[in-house]
Amino acid sequence: MSKLLIDIGSTYFKVCTDKAIEQHFRDFNKDIYDDLTHKCGETIRGYEKGDVYVCSSANGGLSTLIIGLTDSYSLKYAKNIAFNSGINIIETVIYQNIEDYSIPSDLIDVVIVVGGIDSASNIFDATLFGYLDKLNYSNIVYVGSSAEVANLQKNINDLIVLPNIIDNKLHIVEENLKEYLTNLYQADIVGKEDIKSLYDITSNQIYSTPYIVNKTLPLLDANFSVVNPYILIDIGGATTDIHYSKDLVDDNIVTQNEYDRLVFKKLGVYKSKESLIFAAENNEFTYELLTHLKVTENIFEESGEKALKVLMQLAIFLVLCKMSHYKKAYINLKLLSINSIVLTGGITKVLSDEEIEDIISFFYTKILNSKHNPTVVMDKNYDIWTLGAKGN
Amino acid sequence: MKVVTGVVGNDIHVVANRLIELSLNARGFEVFNLGVNTYLEEFFDAAVETNADVLLISSLNGEAEGWAREVKLIKSKYKTLDNLVMMIGGNLVVGTADADTIVPKYKNYGFDLVFHQVDLNTGLDTLEEYLKEGKVS
Ligand code: B12
Repeated sequence: MSKLLIDIGSTYFKVCTDKAIEQHFRDFNKDIYDDLTHKCGETIRGYEKGDVYVCSSANGGLSTLIIGLTDSYSLKYAKNIAFNSGINIIETVIYQNIEDYSIPSDLIDVVIVVGGIDSASNIFDATLFGYLDKLNYSNIVYVGSSAEVANLQKNINDLIVLPNIIDNKLHIVEENLKEYLTNLYQADIVGKEDIKSLYDITSNQIYSTPYIVNKTLPLLDANFSVVNPYILIDIGGATTDIHYSKDLVDDNIVTQNEYDRLVFKKLGVYKSKESLIFAAENNEFTYELLTHLKVTENIFEESGEKALKVLMQLAIFLVLCKMSHYKKAYINLKLLSINSIVLTGGITKVLSDEEIEDIISFFYTKILNSKHNPTVVMDKNYDIWTLGAKGN
Repeated sequence: MKVVTGVVGNDIHVVANRLIELSLNARGFEVFNLGVNTYLEEFFDAAVETNADVLLISSLNGEAEGWAREVKLIKSKYKTLDNLVMMIGGNLVVGTADADTIVPKYKNYGFDLVFHQVDLNTGLDTLEEYLKEGKVS
């Protein structure tokens, strides 16, 4: 029996049958269910509920605040696990300076408290509890030193305690926190009113899109002309997602996962267009790039296909810059070791192979001073997502 | 006693690093080895996460001075490292210089124990003495 796969994004949704893929811009005056059934009702009615699979990245995921002891270990590990659980919105607080941070006014979906190997004690005190008292959050989980558990349990209501994510050799332990966050994310998606109504058309569990994509990655080099190590770039309307082979980081994070995920929440071409342009204007190479593309900065004021193309090209360039050693970031990838760059999402419908290759070689020449030229693989038919979604 | 160790900067000389881990273990220390290519922030961060007593930095390729100059400034940003014993050894200058000039210089950079081209065991004996004295006083 054939399956119907539906992916709800922040800007558009796609519907995939065995024969074709349809892609539609979302109408924000309607809720998702009405919009979907209005545009694809015919197709959907042709399938039993059991054969319809839905995933969504539309709600932007959980908002997360991590309070940890240091950048290089607790915060970095927790952030890595959160990204791999599909979470996009992550704020971090270094515990020793907690009193210098302003308290976020928005409701935080989940607070993660972490720090220390199990034998480290006397880590957290009243400053933590005072901060948490002022913070507005729905869930709180502790994944730090076991020596601190009793103290925290006594002082924090409804605290979930999971095994330490830092082992006694200072290595990362992912599984427990990842499972907790993935379930929370799942529950959050399903709890959103307009996603909930989608259970009228499917009897299968609705998953988050990054979770689906992440599952496919180990299969990629067998199914596509992709050569390891590679990065996968998914430029969306609101965020840009990067999935990358672990071989590309020189890092203290040694995990079981072969692939990690990273999100740039302000680099999207629709919903976060303004911040993408802001990032472009602050990059010293942007004007050279625009000249190279034979346009001027006036293009930022325009709309239409040419403007969209340029924005997408800029997004690729900025994302590569952010991951390179040119910018010190949360993670720097060894971009000179990449064999393939895989692009998926709406971008494959807008840019040609040549237009993408052009940007990539501009990046390598200008920023890395290199003639290195990874092959570009375009996931034009959403095969990556289809493969992951079908695997359920 | 917990010791964080590693080789600072872009230094890939790994042999001494392995020996240091083995020797410290044999002397009963709990060792956190960050390996080669380690930045100062990572050393201090590791000391915080493990609640370490000693930070033992190696430098073999001649980069030590460049990094050591930054030590005081970076360490001063941490609020919980005041009791950390700071130790450095290896080849601490490019070319030759004698201990009389090198040791005071590195002490000034914030190190308690400085070993330029000193054999490892001598260095670790000195460390143990130092820790014992620290406990008495
Ligand atoms: C093997 C070697 C290499 C190998 C390293 C392989 C590897 N992955 O380990 C390779 C070929 C890659 C290499 C590269 C380079 N090397 Co080299 N290398 C050596 C060599 C020949 C031996 C090092 C070694 O393993 N010794 C055995 C170990 C057990 O001894 P050790 O490292 O000296 O450590 C002892 C003590 O220093 C002490 N110790 C170490 N740390 C600490 C810390 C404390 C607290 C204490 C108490 C003691 C202590 O304990 C050890 C046992 O007693 C030395 C020369 C020499 N004979 O020492 C040069 C040497 C270290 N290298 C040197 C240089 C300059 C380089 C390069 C810059 C060369 C270049 N121009 O490319 C690069 C740098 C690469 C980089 N990014 O770091 C110089 C450093 C000069 C300086 N500091 O002024 C040396 C001294 C050679 C020389 N005489 O010029 N090198």
